[in-house]
Amino acid sequence: MLLSELKVGDKAEVEGLLAESAVRRRILDMGLVKGTRFKVLRVAPLGDPVEIFFKGMYLSLRKNEAAGVLVRKIGEARDGAPMGGARRRWRFGS
Amino acid sequence: MATGKEIRVALAGNPNCGKSSLFNGLTGSHQKVGNFSGVTIEKHEGYVDYRGYRIRFVDLPGTYSLTPYSPEELVTRKYLIEEAPDIVVNVLEGPNIERNLLLTTQLMEMGVDLLVALNMYDEVVARGIEIDVKQLQLLLGCHIIPTSAKKKQGFDALLDHIVRVHEGDIEIRKNKLGFRQEIEGAIDGIAEQLAGEPALSGFNPYWLAVKLLENDREVYTLVKEYPVWVKVEIALQLAIREAEAVYKSDPEIIITEDRYAFIRGAMQECVRMPREERASLTDRIDRIVLNRVLGLPIFFFIVWLIFHMTFTLGTPLMEGLDFLFGGIAAAVSPHLANETLRSVIVDGIIAGVGGVLIFLPNIVLLFLGLSFLEASGYMARAAFVVDKVMHRFGLHGKSFIPMITGFGCSIPAIMATRTLKSRSDRLATIMIIPFMSCGAKLPVYILLAGAFFEPAVAANVMFGIYMLGVAIGLVSALVMKKTVLKSDSEPFVMELPPYRWPTLGSVFLQSNIKAMMYVRKAGTVILLAVLLIWVVSNYPRNPAIDAALERRIASIELGDAPEALKKASIVEAEHHANADQLEYSIAGRAGKLMEPLIRPLGFDWRIGVALVTGLAAKEVVVSTMGTIYSLGEADETSPELKTILRNDPSFDQATALSLMVFVLLYIPCVAAIGVMKKEVGNWQAILFYSVYAMGVAWVFSFLTYRLAQLLA
Repeated sequence: MLLSELKVGDKAEVEGLLAESAVRRRILDMGLVKGTRFKVLRVAPLGDPVEIFFKGMYLSLRKNEAAGVLVRKIGEARDGAPMGGARRRWRFGS
Repeated sequence: MATGKEIRVALAGNPNCGKSSLFNGLTGSHQKVGNFSGVTIEKHEGYVDYRGYRIRFVDLPGTYSLTPYSPEELVTRKYLIEEAPDIVVNVLEGPNIERNLLLTTQLMEMGVDLLVALNMYDEVVARGIEIDVKQLQLLLGCHIIPTSAKKKQGFDALLDHIVRVHEGDIEIRKNKLGFRQEIEGAIDGIAEQLAGEPALSGFNPYWLAVKLLENDREVYTLVKEYPVWVKVEIALQLAIREAEAVYKSDPEIIITEDRYAFIRGAMQECVRMPREERASLTDRIDRIVLNRVLGLPIFFFIVWLIFHMTFTLGTPLMEGLDFLFGGIAAAVSPHLANETLRSVIVDGIIAGVGGVLIFLPNIVLLFLGLSFLEASGYMARAAFVVDKVMHRFGLHGKSFIPMITGFGCSIPAIMATRTLKSRSDRLATIMIIPFMSCGAKLPVYILLAGAFFEPAVAANVMFGIYMLGVAIGLVSALVMKKTVLKSDSEPFVMELPPYRWPTLGSVFLQSNIKAMMYVRKAGTVILLAVLLIWVVSNYPRNPAIDAALERRIASIELGDAPEALKKASIVEAEHHANADQLEYSIAGRAGKLMEPLIRPLGFDWRIGVALVTGLAAKEVVVSTMGTIYSLGEADETSPELKTILRNDPSFDQATALSLMVFVLLYIPCVAAIGVMKKEVGNWQAILFYSVYAMGVAWVFSFLTYRLAQLLA
């Protein structure tokens, strides 16, 4: 699945990259290489970008950049909330 | 000092690793700031005298990697290759050593003389992280010195090492990390061929080979120039095919993966992280600050707070400076016998440059606030919070702060766009900043809205003007990004650095630098422009007007009115003469020449003159109108000026609205244009912008005028 499809609280491992050129280089340089485990921390108040946490780093990516990262889910969010837990009650933007 | 006793040291490191604090701590007051040649990335240089050596430091821009995709990365790499500093100090953020090591592996490959400063070591100790420095030193092949920039620890050890490395006392083993066999084989093969090319002898062939496999555009264009390329290309294709066959991947990814594998190995061998029980402080703050519900209100509150601080603290200082310049003018003028000279110096230079310099307190305060946000780690969060909205208009989250800053003054706002890495994002942001109504335009609105609208309506009118600026700015950005500034939008893949309490020194230093840049600007370009505007509004002189004034004064003095009345009449006569002279001047003629052009907007030649002189600074529009309407000194609160405007048959609500819109949108003051030119780097873009802004101003003023007439 893609990083952009994960929910807040999910843990996952990077499997590969679909992104190209500049975005791909940027993602590689930030350390999202195969085998890196991370946790989805939160989404921005307007629903995009998302923030993930790994190796002591807080990294944020837009959803369309997150869609360039192939991942394997290794842990579910405890409450199973959709990306952006508050979205059920609060709907800003689209 | 003898040049032989100089050591040139470059500081390289990730963003937020404490590199700049270390630089400040080491070099103290011996610093200067410039730009790296050809780019608007700031270059901080400084030196320290140590054991008979003058050690010169250059603080390279913070980068995660040396693969040039951003201007910073390009600058850092270019500097390391072309300037070949004697020693490169790689600053690591101790608590986050793992991800900082990527840059280290790349520096190792370049074959530079490397020293590692393990910074924030105090924090490493406090958090119970154990780092086996000796073992890590063996793996990396370079010396590691624990430092703490904040507590000024390890400075002597670092300087000591630099000197000893320079003297050859410490040998640096140039370790390389091993890539997997297939890649290593490909690198060796390509490197061997590259080594046979004499034109490339200035480069490390191993490094060139790695870069070629990493698909590095810069190195590609370099190597393609030479005949050796024919052979190299075949070897490259082979390596790519092999990687695809064996690993279903490409060399670029494999190389990065192997770097991280090496780092992971080094971490396992040398570093023991304590199990963190509680969520980190950063995470706890972010739970509130980046909360889905509270995130936006907190963001707007912080922006409001900075603004409030800037203007409530800045205004009294500004008034003080204004008073000071008034004092200087008053003190100087009696000593200048020559009327023309006095006018140049007092009305031209002192008033003009003073009018620009009085913004200095606001600029310093605004930058103090912004530097604080940057150093504390909130700035990246601000971009995170608003990126979605900004992205809709083709901009980046980081464009928001400069835009907001534009409400204060365009100049610091334009300088603040330096945080944007993509050139097209940056150009678009710079070009819409002047649409954010700056503080200098406020007097014009206050005068016009105050004269033609009820107080309650006037506030709404002003709010509407501000909103119009924002709307036109955002739409302009969208249009530009879709047309002339198409291409490279900056991806939003950025680190939200951990929150830190900024060191006071670095915050002050940052704002000081910006302030000095502004002052230098005021001393050069602005001085010239101000003088030019003084000339066009004073020349040519019409002796007939002076003669008429003298006759008038003489006849008033001969009359038998009371003394007080006589004085008032003389002042009035002088004001009339000034107005006539302004009409006669180049500016006045320009205004008349412009009249057909601005007639459809409801403006006559007098407003044309005010718009011309308004290029010196927007507040000047008001004082020029004061002169034209024969009032002498006038500001936006003068009841006389308001009354005269209201009684002028050629001036009504529609004209006032149209003028406000025009002042909002037309090209900003010369100071802002000067800074724009400096930041953008070429005149074509400025010309494009000027034509665009004038066009937009004309169209919207015209629409405003016609609509207002229809509705009236």
